[in-house]
Amino acid sequence: MSTRKQEDADLVEIKRMLLRLGKMSENAVVRAVWALKNGDISAARSVIDGDDALDELTERIDGSCMSFNARYQPLGQDLRMVVSTMHMAVDLERIGDYGVNIARAAIELERKPLIKPLIDIPRMSAILSEMLGKALSAFDIEDCQAAKAVFLMDDQIDALEKQVTRELFTMVMERVDRLEQAFLLMGAARTLERAGDHATNIAERVIYMCTGKTAKASDYKNPKNKRDDQDEDKNKDKEKEKENRDEA
Amino acid sequence: MDKTQTKSDRDFSHPQVRTENLNLYYGADRVLQSLSFDIPRGCVAAFIGPSGCGKSSYLRCLNRMNDFIPGARAEGRVLIDGTDIYAPDVDVIALRRRVGMVFQKPNPFPMSIYENVAYGPRLFGVRDREVLDETVRSSLEGAALWGEVKDKLNTPGTGLSGGQQQRLCIARAIATEPEVLLMDEPTSALDPLSTARIEELIRDLKSRFTVAIVTHNMQQAARISDHTAFFLLGELVEYGPTSQIFTAPEDKRTEDYITGRFG
Repeated sequence: MSTRKQEDADLVEIKRMLLRLGKMSENAVVRAVWALKNGDISAARSVIDGDDALDELTERIDGSCMSFNARYQPLGQDLRMVVSTMHMAVDLERIGDYGVNIARAAIELERKPLIKPLIDIPRMSAILSEMLGKALSAFDIEDCQAAKAVFLMDDQIDALEKQVTRELFTMVMERVDRLEQAFLLMGAARTLERAGDHATNIAERVIYMCTGKTAKASDYKNPKNKRDDQDEDKNKDKEKEKENRDEA
Repeated sequence: MDKTQTKSDRDFSHPQVRTENLNLYYGADRVLQSLSFDIPRGCVAAFIGPSGCGKSSYLRCLNRMNDFIPGARAEGRVLIDGTDIYAPDVDVIALRRRVGMVFQKPNPFPMSIYENVAYGPRLFGVRDREVLDETVRSSLEGAALWGEVKDKLNTPGTGLSGGQQQRLCIARAIATEPEVLLMDEPTSALDPLSTARIEELIRDLKSRFTVAIVTHNMQQAARISDHTAFFLLGELVEYGPTSQIFTAPEDKRTEDYITGRFG
């Protein structure tokens, strides 16, 4: 006979809170990018003002998970779910912060005409939104296959970020007075790329939660990007080696 | 993979306790079904499972306590340090010296603390008072009780608190220097502090003995054991490193049990 009534109810509540946090974080980024694109300062301010509620919910999730651990000392899938939720809440809170960063950039632009119409940055935001939607729905229904779909989408965000950076570099080289705005937009693209990484972390966590096995997004990414990542790792290793040599 | 894991893996090549196709019958009922697994030397192995799953019956196979149960019959082999304990020429008394046991309820003999611990060595022929004194002291120290009783060794063991009595029983069990220590729910009758003391003691003891413990408290198994076995209806469902069994077990029945979905 199962005696898990209260335990299950508490887990459902924790899950519900995380899904709500996911929606809030997603809204923060999408709204901030919209504000950036349309020069809507009040929308940008509402993202900044909404951050406290997001932080508060993150703290509540943390508290509920701690309390669940203290009360039930969960094991197996319950343990994986609670620990994963704590990690995912941190990722989502960070995504919310990125929304705030982009909203600040929108305010800094002060309704100045954009040096170019924003197309790729809103596309990145749309992909991020879909990644979060997929990752959290996979979390909701505990479906590890659905979570894997998120990994390939991260490649798209990465590619767009590179494209935006390249494009803005070229524009600055043509006219140096575009530098300030180009920096802000590059920052926004970089921020969205980071947010994509956090969405990927969430998908990895969902897979761990469902299967008990650690998943690495790089195992699912397309081979070209994987090669890029590996090259990057190798370069990092080389840099480290060099640093070590210098220190010696 | 952590260091403990590597050590345990190495020790699996020379297990302290090897169970091979063990079946146990109580009359016509088969209560243990074809168990085969190894307990490495110097580790704590925990046995979990719902009541009646066979975990205590298995524990009692390891020192042939089931011999006392009318109609009980074991088939298969249990090797302790390579010796089959069910071979016809085995001296069961000597076996129980090699395999000590601590029970759920502390059961000190109605004699002094000293005599409780000296009882086993005396039974095995130790007469020298100095040797006995030394054994009593080292066993009580080993059971983390010496400091509390050294000034009242001649008072009755039954006068101690529950937790102290259980540590006295552990001292009594280790006084004969066994190789394996069996513990059948050793803390289920104790308060949290006494439980914590015994758990700490078990962690210390594994440097000298291989410990096999039956517990209904899964958090306790998770805290103190290196390997965990999950029994269900006399069958060994899953056996593996404790960290794996309690975070990501492979069998759905284990998962359901440890999360309280049944049992």
